[in-house]
Amino acid sequence: MRRLGYILTAIVLAVAAALAGAESARPQQGQLTIYAAASLTEAFRALDPSRQYNFAGSNALETQIRQGAPADIFASATPASTQNLFRAGLVEKPVTFTANRLALIVPKSNPAGIRSVYDLRTKPVKLVIASQGVPVGGYTRTVLRKMGLLSVLGKVVSEESDVKAVTGKVALGQADAGFVYVTDARPVSDQVTVVRIPAWAQPQVRYEIAVVARSTNKTAARQWIRTLLATRGQTALRNAGFLPPPKTAP
Amino acid sequence: MTATSTGVGLAGGGLLARPAAAATDDELAFANFGAATELLLRDFYGRAGTAKLFAGSLGKALARGRFAATEHGVALATLLTDAGQTAPLEDDFEFAWPAGTFVARKPAATAGLTIAEALLGAYLTAAATSPTASSRVLFSSLAASLGEQRSTLALARGRLTIGNSFPAALELETASAAVESFLG
Repeated sequence: MRRLGYILTAIVLAVAAALAGAESARPQQGQLTIYAAASLTEAFRALDPSRQYNFAGSNALETQIRQGAPADIFASATPASTQNLFRAGLVEKPVTFTANRLALIVPKSNPAGIRSVYDLRTKPVKLVIASQGVPVGGYTRTVLRKMGLLSVLGKVVSEESDVKAVTGKVALGQADAGFVYVTDARPVSDQVTVVRIPAWAQPQVRYEIAVVARSTNKTAARQWIRTLLATRGQTALRNAGFLPPPKTAP
Repeated sequence: MTATSTGVGLAGGGLLARPAAAATDDELAFANFGAATELLLRDFYGRAGTAKLFAGSLGKALARGRFAATEHGVALATLLTDAGQTAPLEDDFEFAWPAGTFVARKPAATAGLTIAEALLGAYLTAAATSPTASSRVLFSSLAASLGEQRSTLALARGRLTIGNSFPAALELETASAAVESFLG
């Protein structure tokens, strides 16, 4: 009987030790929560499918982190959001990790007959773009301003909260055209046609990433960012159509 | 003509045209295209010089073309920044030169001609359509300079230095398409 008691005690201790070990290992390997711009969805999932992600417009994610959302890492499609949080002491120093370009997409059926961005000016078209506060929405307006096409904003039928919503509406044929990142057109290439935006009209689309200051998992978060910056991470981004960080990036 | 009425002023030791009035959206679009393409043309002249393809007076003329492209870029960048826009920088682009462009005079001059004629055509349209006198002065002077450069590049290419009696004014879309492959 006493022997059975020893065995039971040993089992209980072993289970307790295993559970304690799992708890201490969790911050290193699990439960890393990454808040990332919607445009990074495919690239980040391909790089590391095991993580917990929250993909949305960078502006919305910035607001959530300000309000104390439990993020460990924040990856933004614009330096503005990460730098705002850095100045507020809410994230560690951000680093640039990739870049992107804008494109105009039209449904494969192309009912409005859009062949060039300039066609938006002359043809009746239902245009969908992202809201001004969303990075891709701001970049869209920069493109139109550079090309002298701000007047086409009068043809906008819907303003969306993130780039995936813009992509979805065009892919489903609910709009004749929409401005998205080149990388967002790839996953729906069987549903949309890409209309190129000239290089001289492209905005500087630079992505930054930072460890969230209140993260309880900073070691793992920093390691994840190192992986993203290393060959494996950069290859995943390149495979999704992203560009290397600009030469002038900090 | 006075500096005040036309917005022409001295800057950087050269005469740079600078519109005094607020630029329109169309003028800024031409300025954006021009500023980026002048960076491209500057890169072209730099590479042609490094490759030592052109000697003597032709080489000196092309070196002067590089200086002109720099000054044009500054003038257009000023127009953009005065309007609250961001001027393009060389680092914003990955210029793409076809293989063999700078191994011989003919392909190099052909590339340069393509860029110069696109800029000339765009500046002609900008000059013709700009609603303000000061902008017309700027784009006309840019067109005149590009006409000279076109002539020099034509000579380098082995063509007549005086080409069309009436060089084509190009819509921005057409001019942009002509240089898109170089801008990357």
